[in-house]
Amino acid sequence: MPDPVLQVEDLSISFTTGETTFDVVRDLSVTLDGGRTLAVVGESGSGKTITGRAIMRLLPRGAGARGRIVVAGRDMLAADERELRRARGADVAMVFQDSMSALSPYLDIGAHIAQAVRLHDPSVSRRAARARGVEMLERVGIPEPADAVRRFPHEFSGGMRQRAVIAMALVNRPALLIADEPTTALDVTVQAQILALLRELQQEYGMAMLLISHDFGVVASAADDVLVLYAGREAEYGSLRDVFEAPAHPYTAGLRAATPRLDARLDTGGERTRLRAIPGAPTSLRDAGPGCAFAPRCGLAGQVGERCVVEVPLRSRRTSGTTGGAHRAACHLDRLPSSGEIAR
Amino acid sequence: MTAPILEMTDVSKRFRTPGGFGRRRHGLLAVDGVSLRVERGEALGLVGESGSGKSTLARMANGLVTPTAGIVRTDGQDVAALGRRGLRRLRRNVAMVFQDPLASLNPRQTVRQTLENVYRAHGETTSTAELVALLESVGLGPDYLGRYPHQASGGQLQRVAVARALALKPDLIIADEPTSALDVSVRAQILNLLADLQRDQGISFLHVSHDLAVIRLYSDRVAVMQRGRIVETGPSEEIFRAPQHPCTQALVEATPEAELPT
Ligand SMILES: Nc1ncnc2c1ncn2[C@@H]1O[C@H](COP(=O)(O)OP(=O)(O)OP(=O)(O)O)[C@@H](O)[C@H]1O
Ligand SMILES: Nc1ncnc2c1ncn2[C@@H]1O[C@H](COP(=O)(O)OP(=O)(O)OP(=O)(O)O)[C@@H](O)[C@H]1O
Ligand SMILES: [Mg+2]
Ligand SMILES: [Mg+2]
Repeated sequence: MPDPVLQVEDLSISFTTGETTFDVVRDLSVTLDGGRTLAVVGESGSGKTITGRAIMRLLPRGAGARGRIVVAGRDMLAADERELRRARGADVAMVFQDSMSALSPYLDIGAHIAQAVRLHDPSVSRRAARARGVEMLERVGIPEPADAVRRFPHEFSGGMRQRAVIAMALVNRPALLIADEPTTALDVTVQAQILALLRELQQEYGMAMLLISHDFGVVASAADDVLVLYAGREAEYGSLRDVFEAPAHPYTAGLRAATPRLDARLDTGGERTRLRAIPGAPTSLRDAGPGCAFAPRCGLAGQVGERCVVEVPLRSRRTSGTTGGAHRAACHLDRLPSSGEIAR
Repeated sequence: MTAPILEMTDVSKRFRTPGGFGRRRHGLLAVDGVSLRVERGEALGLVGESGSGKSTLARMANGLVTPTAGIVRTDGQDVAALGRRGLRRLRRNVAMVFQDPLASLNPRQTVRQTLENVYRAHGETTSTAELVALLESVGLGPDYLGRYPHQASGGQLQRVAVARALALKPDLIIADEPTSALDVSVRAQILNLLADLQRDQGISFLHVSHDLAVIRLYSDRVAVMQRGRIVETGPSEEIFRAPQHPCTQALVEATPEAELPT
């Protein structure tokens, strides 16, 4: 068996501001093989983006990572600047959540892609690099690509910018693509195109993909496996089917219940139908007490009692693993009640 | 009879673009003769393909982009004829949530400064308690007041942007993808908050979103844009039950459901 493209072991990420240091991610472990897609979902602020940045070794100032991150055989946390430059682009590339801030307002779109090409391989001529830019824009579905390369980021719509940053990330055919909400700014038809394109390139290059997304529709159509984060920790991990059809963590079940469906039947008499939000606000690792970070919002904590608020649940194997792969959840309950019982 | 809170009549916007030939020589017609109205207390959903002109239309609605042709009226007043004071009042009564939250926030200002400036710009004062309550309504704790934009996650920033728009209790909120960066449970919380404001305080919404399921639940009427034009409008339920225009049909078709094939 070939080595996995990505191996993360006991990764913790902390921020230091002034005199205080606090963790935002704790004890995260994942492996990802070439050609496969792992979706990372979870509450806003749960540590998805910062984990992606840690894998790239592109942490903001004041942030530090502990543990082990191996990408295509390279130990990212031990690598020096020169190795990192080589790794970024070819081994691992990232599509950032905020496409505008990933682009320079002073460079046209073609220059951005050309820069990515030449950073990785300086022997490519400027002209050839720009030609690659036109080619890539065409691949991601931007009309009139030869004109589009000459336009500046602010002259693109949100969705076009998003496609441009995807083109930049893919131009060097990375072994691992970290895509942070790659299709949120896109309409559904372009979204479907981009997901199909990513799948196609994934098959062509055997690329592994870490797909950060809060859109369960996207996750359902693109992921092989799913990792659910809550307050910086793994809440649940398993195959797409296990996590979707037999969620083993109450938070995952709550997310599923809050997902709007276009084909849902609505009773339109009187009050407008609303989405069911999970009550309460998300916590951070810093504010979480000694117990399970989700306990204050969990409708099932009452069934377990004390334990939920005094003891962090360990990740434990679930018997529901229907697809043979690992399925684990960090919950004191061994089994969740069926969805009817959860919907309070 | 009161005037609609927003009325756009035959509005167009042409951008100059570099190079270009053929039909592009005269620039890019991002919005092409659009007429649209948002009644008081109404939530109008605006959907359409990427690049169809939704953000441009939204920006014209609050005077950030000047139309090449056509008239924009808010609360019955022609925006083009507004003086400085009139424009200030427009900004007070029409708030905007931008598509790109990070780019719309000043990186050198803390969340507290950002919010305080909104009040100050309109000669109003605020208290810490009020700011804390405002943040709480979008699910953020008081410690966010002291944070800079780079110290918050994408979804946290987006909620700051929503809080900023809500601060002065405007009459109309133009929200360009206000919940795109939010996970489903926080998104539901924010959308329900906006729906409460509409119901209890009669705030009107122009809500741009790619998420048809969200638009369907939270809009009274829907307008569909394609290549700068509005190709279909109607009551939300009707549009999604029986989409008439091929563009709307394609959007409905392509919406992925969060279910697995069995
Ligand atoms: N400042 C500008 N200069 C030149 N062209 C522009 C400018 N702003 C927008 N455009 C162009 O106008 C068209 C409409 O853009 P707009 O941002 O309104 O689309 P949108 O419907 O909001 O798309 P999205 O869903 O991707 O955000 C696009 O082709 C875009 O490239
Ligand atoms: N520079 C910083 N200083 C302090 N805290 C930070 C900083 N940057 C991020 N954080 C915090 O770290 C946590 C993780 O942030 P991250 O951006 O990874 O969240 P996320 O899961 O990507 O959320 P979203 O879905 O909203 O994008 C958040 O609670 C955020 O507030
Ligand atoms: Mg993020
Ligand atoms: Mg837009």
